[in-house]
Amino acid sequence: MAERLPLLAPEDLRRLASLQVLARSVVEGFCSGLHRSPHKGFSVEFREHRAYVPGDEIRRLDWKLYARRDRFYVREFEEETNVRATLLLDASGSMAYGEPSKLDYAARLAAGLAWLLLQQSDAVGLLVFDTAPRRYIPPRARPGHLRVLTDALERTRAGGETDLGRVLHDTAARVHRRGLLIVLSDCLGPLPELLAALAHLRFVHHDVSVIQVLHPDELEFPFRGWTRFESLERAGHDRLLDPAALREAYRRRVAEFQRDLRRGCHRHRVDWALMTTDRPWSDSLSRFLAARRRRA
Amino acid sequence: MTFLNPALLAGVAAAAIPVILHLLNRRRFRVVRWSAMMFLDDILRTQRRRIRIEQWLLLAIRASIPALLALAMARPVLTGAAGRIQRAPTSAVILLDNSASMEVGEAGRSALAAAREAAAAVLDELPRGSEAAVIGMAGPLPAAEEPSVDLAQVRQVVLDAEGGWGAARPAAALQRAAALFEQRMHHADRLLVIVTDLQRSTWSPERAEERRRAWSRLAAQPVPPRVVLMPIRAAPVENVAVGPVELSRAMAGVGQTLRIRATMRLYGGRARPSVRAYLRVNGVELKHATVRLEPGAAEVVQFSHAFDRAGSHVIEVATDPDALRADNAAAASVIIVDRLPVRLISGDPNPLPLRSETAFLELALQPWMAGAGRAADLIRVSTVPESRAEPAHLRDARAIVLANVRQLPTAAVEALAEFVREGGGLLIAPGDRASPSWYAATLDEAAGLLPARLAGIVGRPDEEAGAVGFEPRWPAHPALAGLRAGALDGVRLRAYHRLDVPPERADGILMRLENGEPWMVERRVGEGRVVLLGGPLDADWGNLPFQPAYVPLMQELIVHLGSVVHPPRNIEPGERMAARLDDDTPEGERATLTLPDGSVRELVVARRGMHRMVEFGETDRPGIYWLKPPGGADPIAWVVRRPPQESDLTPLSDSEIAALVAEASATIIESPEAFRRIERERREGRELWRATWWGVLGLLALELVVQRRLGGRVP
Repeated sequence: MAERLPLLAPEDLRRLASLQVLARSVVEGFCSGLHRSPHKGFSVEFREHRAYVPGDEIRRLDWKLYARRDRFYVREFEEETNVRATLLLDASGSMAYGEPSKLDYAARLAAGLAWLLLQQSDAVGLLVFDTAPRRYIPPRARPGHLRVLTDALERTRAGGETDLGRVLHDTAARVHRRGLLIVLSDCLGPLPELLAALAHLRFVHHDVSVIQVLHPDELEFPFRGWTRFESLERAGHDRLLDPAALREAYRRRVAEFQRDLRRGCHRHRVDWALMTTDRPWSDSLSRFLAARRRRA
Repeated sequence: MTFLNPALLAGVAAAAIPVILHLLNRRRFRVVRWSAMMFLDDILRTQRRRIRIEQWLLLAIRASIPALLALAMARPVLTGAAGRIQRAPTSAVILLDNSASMEVGEAGRSALAAAREAAAAVLDELPRGSEAAVIGMAGPLPAAEEPSVDLAQVRQVVLDAEGGWGAARPAAALQRAAALFEQRMHHADRLLVIVTDLQRSTWSPERAEERRRAWSRLAAQPVPPRVVLMPIRAAPVENVAVGPVELSRAMAGVGQTLRIRATMRLYGGRARPSVRAYLRVNGVELKHATVRLEPGAAEVVQFSHAFDRAGSHVIEVATDPDALRADNAAAASVIIVDRLPVRLISGDPNPLPLRSETAFLELALQPWMAGAGRAADLIRVSTVPESRAEPAHLRDARAIVLANVRQLPTAAVEALAEFVREGGGLLIAPGDRASPSWYAATLDEAAGLLPARLAGIVGRPDEEAGAVGFEPRWPAHPALAGLRAGALDGVRLRAYHRLDVPPERADGILMRLENGEPWMVERRVGEGRVVLLGGPLDADWGNLPFQPAYVPLMQELIVHLGSVVHPPRNIEPGERMAARLDDDTPEGERATLTLPDGSVRELVVARRGMHRMVEFGETDRPGIYWLKPPGGADPIAWVVRRPPQESDLTPLSDSEIAALVAEASATIIESPEAFRRIERERREGRELWRATWWGVLGLLALELVVQRRLGGRVP
């Protein structure tokens, strides 16, 4: 696998900053404007101490600690949080396809979303999965949490088979507090199970968004000449064929699948967005947010 | 099926290329590590069979493209059984319709010009080494009727062929073609091409029987020729035709009025209220008349003319020219004489006035001379007694009268028979001296001259009682043209010879007695005529010589007998033309004949019996032929009549053409281009490369469609 770039490059952050305004309004709208917020109130709780730097407000100085340590510390509190968001990142073998891979693309999207949410003091968690949950970071709203998340994203490698349905059922069981679930996956798996799992998440009052990340090849099937297609997920599973002979059939099949997925999501009131890896991920993200805002 | 570039056929093996490529590609595949295997698995599970069929179809199309391409480049040719012929030389006979009707054409080009080009195109298509002959169906093409391998020369003759002939004679032309194939042509591939305007009068179904013999003869040959019919179409036109000119007699005396009749007919178009007809004598227009013509109906136009000069003259009736000029005039040749020599052989010469057997007749035939008038008689009589009659007396006469002759020397009878057979006239008037047995044995049985047997004398010459008159009606006959109704009412014949007319000659009875007995009987012998009377021409047996009708009766009878023109001067196309010249013309001298087309031939004077003759057989071209005899004698004109049926330009109907094609087992080919194409296809087969190329293009298109259908567009 190619060396992965840092997830949030300075230019990405610049662009994300401009998205922040958009994101803020979206998130705000979706947590307090409509009665869709998973939280009914908020609390202020101490989070940590940090060294005083000139310019900090004097009232935030922890005098008691000064008395004990003879140094100035500023008290930082858990800020107001109204959303607990969990990013569900599919790291199955199929996500390794393409350059950049769908996993890279999805990881950047996840990092971007995390940054945006954390900027708004929302708690963000991460669940990396393939057949089963591989790593879970519970939602936190601390500013340093972004680092935790990006480290986890950077370490994620694609591998294993997908069982999206099972993972989402697990998630419904694992994430008790209602919140925002953003699934980042190619969704290439049995559709009925996926839709059933989405229904399950909705049943427990999660707000679910599915960001489907696909490579253009997976939509167009543009290959020429005899080709052996080897599965990225299951070793020894391959097909030798002339792509030209079944290109149209493939396209029809994919179109059917996408249609069924879109309708299924709509039926369960799950946001669905398709993003292809040939477009800049920040563009895709901004369109996603804009669309969500419109719906809101 | 054969191929013009068979070496390129090996290229068909290129069909293997797509298969090999297919197999190679399957071996030299690339590997893609793929995410969406679920879709491929789905498709392969549900559509594997269809995809495989489509793959095979595509492979078959792709394999066919190079194979068909190689096939096209090898230039396939569909030959069938005809492939054997290849470029083998051909024996070809072309029947070229050069009849008068071919003068009419379409778009400023005569049908003959189109026919010439069609015939030339046929010649152009013959392979090297072929032999060809061209037969004119109406008039000869002498330079091309012999088979020749010099096709360029034959072609030139065809292109130079001129019209102006009469009617086409298909049956005769086919017979000539059959003879050429039988005797003069050598190659196994045989072709008979008929280039014609398919004029109905020429090719009518009614004349199929005539042609059938020729077709059978052609079909019976060891290698029957292929028959190709090339019709030359002409636009329908209105045509005024002047039919044959009929003269009241073919010979007339100077000053005698000649009645001239011509039939005019309008073919096609609408009624023409005033069509002018002109009378031309020796090329000089003298009179004209106007007739109204209805389409399809005949109208007779009549003129009369009296010549003031002896000799051979031509009378023409003409009308204004139209599309078919050949029938805008018709002609007839007439002989005008200033004397008609008649020899009377008297069985009872008597120097006393009016006592001789021939006395009344001499008076009747030469009334002016007898009356010492100043006018000259046409008929010049000379009389010899029967005892002195000899062959030399017949030489200059145009008619002989045997007046109550008992019998003649054998030599004289033989000369008499020859005289009649060659066109002379003989009048036999037996009286009391005539011996029925000699007449029967010599004149009838030996010489074959007598129209009827003498069966005994009825009545008594010296008894008025029992005398009989003539039946008051007689047929319209030139010999009786001088008799008016009732002219013979006063005739009483006291005696007569009963004439025993054989039933087959009953038509020759010209006059009967009132008791029904025949009295005047005519018989044609050879070219001449013999008239037998039931009694003498003097007053011994009756009062006929005293009747006013006697003179015109005898005059007309003798002129009728003496005006046989032999050999004839008005003939049909193809009939032999001959003229008797003066007996003192030296044998071997040359006479000059000018033909209607202006060409000139020299004819050699030959001896025929006791006469000097010139003869000419190439009379297929209608029109006027002028002969200038040697020694400065007066020119002689013949008219070869134009066949009237040629004026009717109606072509065969489609069904009649179909019947003709069936009758001839022919192939009908409408144009030289079509002939060229069909002949090339026959020889070389039908080149299929064009179709094969289309096939390649079609397969390419099909490949594209199938490919698109299976593979869609790749971005």
